[in-house]
Amino acid sequence: MNAQGHSRLARLAINNEGFAFDPQTGESFTVNETGREILNQMVSGQPMEVVSMSISDGYAIEHREVMSDVRDFFEQLRVLGLVEATS
Amino acid sequence: MSKTIVGVTGINASDNPAPGIGVAKSLKRDDANVTVIGLAYDAMEPGIYLDWFIDKSYMIPYPTAGDRVLVDRLLYIRSQTGMSVVIPTLDSELPFYIRVADELRSHGLHTFLPDEKQFRLRDKQRLEKVAASAQIRFPKQYVINSTIALAHIAPELGYPLMIKGGVYSAHRAEDLQEAMAHFSLVVAKWGYPVIAQQVIVGEEMNVIGVGDGYGDAPGLVAIKKMSTTGFGKIWTGVTVDHPQLLEAAKRFVRNTRWRGAFELECIIYGDDIYLIEVNPRFPAWVYFATGVGINLPAMLVKRALGESIDEDIGYDPGKLYVRYTDERVCDMRTFQNMVTLGES
Repeated sequence: MNAQGHSRLARLAINNEGFAFDPQTGESFTVNETGREILNQMVSGQPMEVVSMSISDGYAIEHREVMSDVRDFFEQLRVLGLVEATS
Repeated sequence: MSKTIVGVTGINASDNPAPGIGVAKSLKRDDANVTVIGLAYDAMEPGIYLDWFIDKSYMIPYPTAGDRVLVDRLLYIRSQTGMSVVIPTLDSELPFYIRVADELRSHGLHTFLPDEKQFRLRDKQRLEKVAASAQIRFPKQYVINSTIALAHIAPELGYPLMIKGGVYSAHRAEDLQEAMAHFSLVVAKWGYPVIAQQVIVGEEMNVIGVGDGYGDAPGLVAIKKMSTTGFGKIWTGVTVDHPQLLEAAKRFVRNTRWRGAFELECIIYGDDIYLIEVNPRFPAWVYFATGVGINLPAMLVKRALGESIDEDIGYDPGKLYVRYTDERVCDMRTFQNMVTLGES
């Protein structure tokens, strides 16, 4: 599973408090600590599988559960137009 | 070096603010020693009372009083103050200032305005031509003169649609009944023709700048409106770095050889940029650009006086603009002087 069309995601300015700003569209979003971690990993080009493994290890949560949450998060990003598609 | 004395119109900072205060603030920020002369049409225009931005104010006649009357008044103000540049900021007065620019200059009073041909491009009926110059899209629209024509073309535009006056005013209509009501309102207030325009769904972004008259725009600022007033005026906004939009603005300036201030109002939908409106002047939020380091009014004054200006200054995206209301308590004398003497 992979995220396509990350160009918009890559240009997000994300601060330590989870405030993300798109300098091209002027849109802003807020994410919690886990969301920020996921976003940062996706911005650096990590596939969803790797991201969910990392979160699973970091928070000691079962990978299957994390994968489902990451997929939901990704879907929200898609709805917001920050990523183009899932496969 | 002699002190610059600049006249500014549109100092009515009400709930539908004119650009004059933003221009005056910008000039003061560039040069604390500049003298700003407020040119007011009404003794109640708030700028008259903001003496930290406007050093002295004069009443001027409306352009409908005739060219001679207004020219004489401006030259009188020049003789009294040494005013060497005048910045008209309202659409309705621009044709006058463009017409008399040479005469004013011959008396040492400078402007920096588009010529008549460029000015006509701001006509909403010529939107297609301007969009072509910027190589961007434009919404489908019709110039109409009757409600019968409106009923005829409305289904093609679909709902919602915009009903706009030739110079001022824009209203969104959700159905034909509402469109008819807006049509009547616009005609009653602004006259014919009326423009019915397709609504483009997307993010509204605007670009402002000053064209040098030779095809360059030394400073451009793009912003997104985050919230607006009931009049559709910006209340909060944020600077954006939208390369395609800024390139479109550069093409507009290059291809029209635009001279003077301008604002392009656009809608962004995906990769498409739609031009909604062109304004041949600064918007009321021009101080936003100044606040992020692009002082367009100061550039315009320098160009008007034939001075050179720095090219291609950048700005940071993500800077926030917040308007707020304020109060001023002052002596009645200023108002009395404006009413009785026409100056204060």
